Amino acid sequence: MARWQFRPPVERYRDGFRINLDREERDLVVRLMRELRGLLLGSSDNPLLVRLFPTAYHLPEHAELDEEYQRLMREEIVASRLSGIDTVEAALTEPPPLSEAEMMALVQAVNGVRLVMAAALDVDENHDPDDIDDDDPQAADYHLYAFLSWLLEWTVRALAEL
Amino acid sequence: MPLGVAEPSLEETSSTDRPWVVLVWNDPVNLMSYVTYVLQKLFGYSYEKATQLMLQVHHDGKAVVSSGSREKSEMEVFRLHEFGLWATMQQDD
Repeated sequence: MARWQFRPPVERYRDGFRINLDREERDLVVRLMRELRGLLLGSSDNPLLVRLFPTAYHLPEHAELDEEYQRLMREEIVASRLSGIDTVEAALTEPPPLSEAEMMALVQAVNGVRLVMAAALDVDENHDPDDIDDDDPQAADYHLYAFLSWLLEWTVRALAEL
Repeated sequence: MPLGVAEPSLEETSSTDRPWVVLVWNDPVNLMSYVTYVLQKLFGYSYEKATQLMLQVHHDGKAVVSSGSREKSEMEVFRLHEFGLWATMQQDD
């Protein structure tokens, strides 16, 4: 009997990191990067983007400061996310290993996709994406969300290793 | 207090002197391990300190993760937003 051996999806080596996703999963992540780029370059009122641009000044008395922050920093966040997406796409299509900077871009981008999906799926405290019926019309998206959470968890684990 | 001497109101002095605090709020999307890692990376906190702050966010709904001038706090909020965390700022009470 063949011995099944667990291999983590992300591993740290002396020369950097390796992502052990199969071809299909890797293509999926690259495709999601492209979709995220498309959303970021599209309309700024897209409700799917709401979690990517949080309020900075939450008190009503600082509403003007928040408006100024959003006016100045939104573009900066878009630029930083787009540059991260480019980094991830290149890193996933080039031979390993990945550097720590590329891994940081990966966690930010994968989490960015999760933040968009959470807005679409209406994820909140009462709506646990891990606890969904297979006959739910959004089951496929919930599975994708769970896959990204799993990948993110292992990526953070590899990065946090001393 | 001698009559005729204009004293700055308490509010005026405190609004410029009081430091700003950066808060991270609980949200259902960001993973606990991710929040801990981001706090370590951005603020240089130990794993223990970052975990303690993350748990405070998780249990109390929010935690103060840093404090300082408005400019410094705004840059920190921006860095946290780049990672997708729900971070805001206000003047310390």
